[in-house]
Amino acid sequence: AAAPDGTAVSASKTKTKKKHFIGQKVKLFRASEPILSVFMWGVNHTVNELSNVPVPVMLMPDDFKAYSKIKVDNHLFNKENLPSRFKFKEYCPMVFRNLRERFGIDDQDYQNSLTRSAPLNSDSQGRFGNRFLCSYDHRFVIKTISSEDIAEMHSILKKYHQFIVECHGNTLLPQFLGMYRLTVDGVETYMVVTRNVFSHRLTVHRKYDLKGSTVSREASDKEKAKELPTFKDNDFLNEGQKLQIGDDNKKYFLEKLKRDVEFLATLKIMDYSLLVGIHDVERAEQEEMDVEGAGEEEEYENDGMGGGALTGSFGTPPDSPGNPLNCGGFFGPGEFDPSVDVYAIKSRDGAGKKEVYFMAIIDILTHYDAKKKAAHAAKTVKHGAGAEISTVNPEQYSKRFYEFMSNILS
Amino acid sequence: GGEGGGLGSSSIAASIASKTKTKKKHFVAQKVKLFRASDPLLSVLMWGVNHSINELSHIQIPIMLMPDDFKAYSKIKVDNHLFNKENMPSHFKFKEYCPLVFRNLRERFGIDDQEFSNSLTRSAPLNSDAQGRSGARFHTSYDKRYVIKTISSEDVAEMHNILKKYHQFIVECHGNTLLPQFLGMYRLTVDGDETYMIVTRNVFSHRLSVYKKYDLKGSTVAREASDKEKAKELPTYKDNDFINDGQKIYIDGENKKMFLEKLRKDVEFLAQLKLMDYSLLVGIHDVERAEQEEVDSEDNEAEDDGESDGGGVGTPPDSPSNTLDSTKPLSPGEFDPSIDVYAIKSAPRKEVYFMAIIDILQHYDAKKKAAHAAKTVKHGAGAEISTVNPEQYSKRFYDFIATILS
Repeated sequence: AAAPDGTAVSASKTKTKKKHFIGQKVKLFRASEPILSVFMWGVNHTVNELSNVPVPVMLMPDDFKAYSKIKVDNHLFNKENLPSRFKFKEYCPMVFRNLRERFGIDDQDYQNSLTRSAPLNSDSQGRFGNRFLCSYDHRFVIKTISSEDIAEMHSILKKYHQFIVECHGNTLLPQFLGMYRLTVDGVETYMVVTRNVFSHRLTVHRKYDLKGSTVSREASDKEKAKELPTFKDNDFLNEGQKLQIGDDNKKYFLEKLKRDVEFLATLKIMDYSLLVGIHDVERAEQEEMDVEGAGEEEEYENDGMGGGALTGSFGTPPDSPGNPLNCGGFFGPGEFDPSVDVYAIKSRDGAGKKEVYFMAIIDILTHYDAKKKAAHAAKTVKHGAGAEISTVNPEQYSKRFYEFMSNILS
Repeated sequence: GGEGGGLGSSSIAASIASKTKTKKKHFVAQKVKLFRASDPLLSVLMWGVNHSINELSHIQIPIMLMPDDFKAYSKIKVDNHLFNKENMPSHFKFKEYCPLVFRNLRERFGIDDQEFSNSLTRSAPLNSDAQGRSGARFHTSYDKRYVIKTISSEDVAEMHNILKKYHQFIVECHGNTLLPQFLGMYRLTVDGDETYMIVTRNVFSHRLSVYKKYDLKGSTVAREASDKEKAKELPTYKDNDFINDGQKIYIDGENKKMFLEKLRKDVEFLAQLKLMDYSLLVGIHDVERAEQEEVDSEDNEAEDDGESDGGGVGTPPDSPSNTLDSTKPLSPGEFDPSIDVYAIKSAPRKEVYFMAIIDILQHYDAKKKAAHAAKTVKHGAGAEISTVNPEQYSKRFYDFIATILS
């Protein structure tokens, strides 16, 4: 028997339908590296566990200190796709479940995005060479972080949650959706999952990391050689780049930005960036035509909806996500679903180019006190590759940041 | 429209709902499982079986079992902190022995993994006052389809010894046997204590009540229920009681022939493996007596608030929603042979018999060792002084059973 979406359903001995029809595919957690398999297994497991824990009326203080830990030790069993030994820890499961709900993310969808197919490596580099991955459907970003970042997250989690409650999830801050520690071959890796700032469908053609700072804010030659380099403040200004979103959008955006950076300043957090991605609508249309021309000889499973929506210039796999929102409607060029691409803003009518902008705050885990300590330890204010010599405090940083961003929007 | 992220969470959900006309592709109809039980050990069992079946659902079923599968195990250790404390202990371990082998056995015995899981996890297993050898503890699944027996680590070792041959026997007889249907074997660790458990198909019916029960070995010595046993609600009577009661098992020629064929093959297999001291468990359902009991309980319930299933078996109001129960109601004394696989209708009498072999893990060599250690042939409470070997035991057993079937 086959379900409507073509997944196999176990044959039934009885004539009546089984009362527990589960349409999901078998998940093998197959990946190029054991750590990714463990990640997939772990997210699958923890979301399943949570499905058996009733949703409480409200979170309690203990929920912000809680964790779940599981250690697997198999022998001659399930060796095909998973290591025999590994550990998986989830921090504050109830809190992140609540956050996912407040950010409009269904747990099953979250689980599917991270487990149906292996997350993909991203060549983005965060601060200090942190590793980035994104879910196979490009909805979520998985960042490898340090144990210090974990401690910082725990420090801010209550206030962050409260802020999210008060702004009803309406913020440019990172949407923290899950935080984990994986142990494979005795090595511990910490990961945090956030909603992708960029679109899961529309390509980003140009990317900027903006701080509003003046020193060393230029992409290196090595960076410029990449397929999608991360340009910075000086590049932005030198190119005469414009973000033409119109007055209403600008007002609305800056309201959020103001609230957000004020919040960060009260927590004494600084060195965050505004990540900006620009989707060039005409260029994307051209790219899609090029791909379709080349792709006629290949065998694409095409959902038959939205033409290049699933395969276009994005390189998505033929066996594309079965998430309803992908197949639900036909998206024209430059169109998007604001409930999925929550950071997307269309360029205003009359702007020179038809563009879509994706803008949100990233990298919010650097605490001023931790910075000062590290600076003293290094006997110098400059620390780490690519960080600026910064003598401002969080309050000043937030003001300078806000000023810069409000000036570049029109 | 087209602005980014301007919606609160509830309206995002609403907009998702209105935008997508297609159904979610992963509709899961099962209830939330809390694993609530009176005993943390049972919560861990429920959690563990649920976990094990979920894990297996992500492993492709191999074409055939490999030698390694008979040595394999899965082990998981949970350590939670301030999380999920309502129904589960914070620290526990769960080990499943030979998961692929038991999955294959379940399939050969016609048991679907999801249904197996549901039976053991939707509601807590119930204590049974049945006593096995040396006071082994029993539970039944809430829907009474499966029996969970607490066993020793020696039993676990013996199971491993016989598992390959047992599996092969099941393959050859196509699951058609009176031997215990071994469906899963686990080790649970709660508060530092290890408990070994094995799950078998219930010999008795999940619906029809048994009013009289016998444990028969075909032996002659000390085969009588004690006074303590007789005081129980459903005492386990033995060989001498059976003979003294003038009890008879009335089944027709065809059923008798089929039954004895299976029995012969089974006991020959056990003798080959040098296993002995097993019993034939016999349960008798009296149709008229059951009808009367149902009438009585309905009268009593007229005064209570109770939801009555009318099943006459004392099933809980929130009864199993397993498909075959709800298709059509079964008349008194009727049963579904694909669930109550041991049931045989009596020919002249309005009775149903449930008969199968139990307690097959006693190995002759282990027995002899224990006997020498105790400097006596008699060992353990309730065990007979037996000087036979497995071959003799099997013949004596078979002859006795053949005689009592008329």
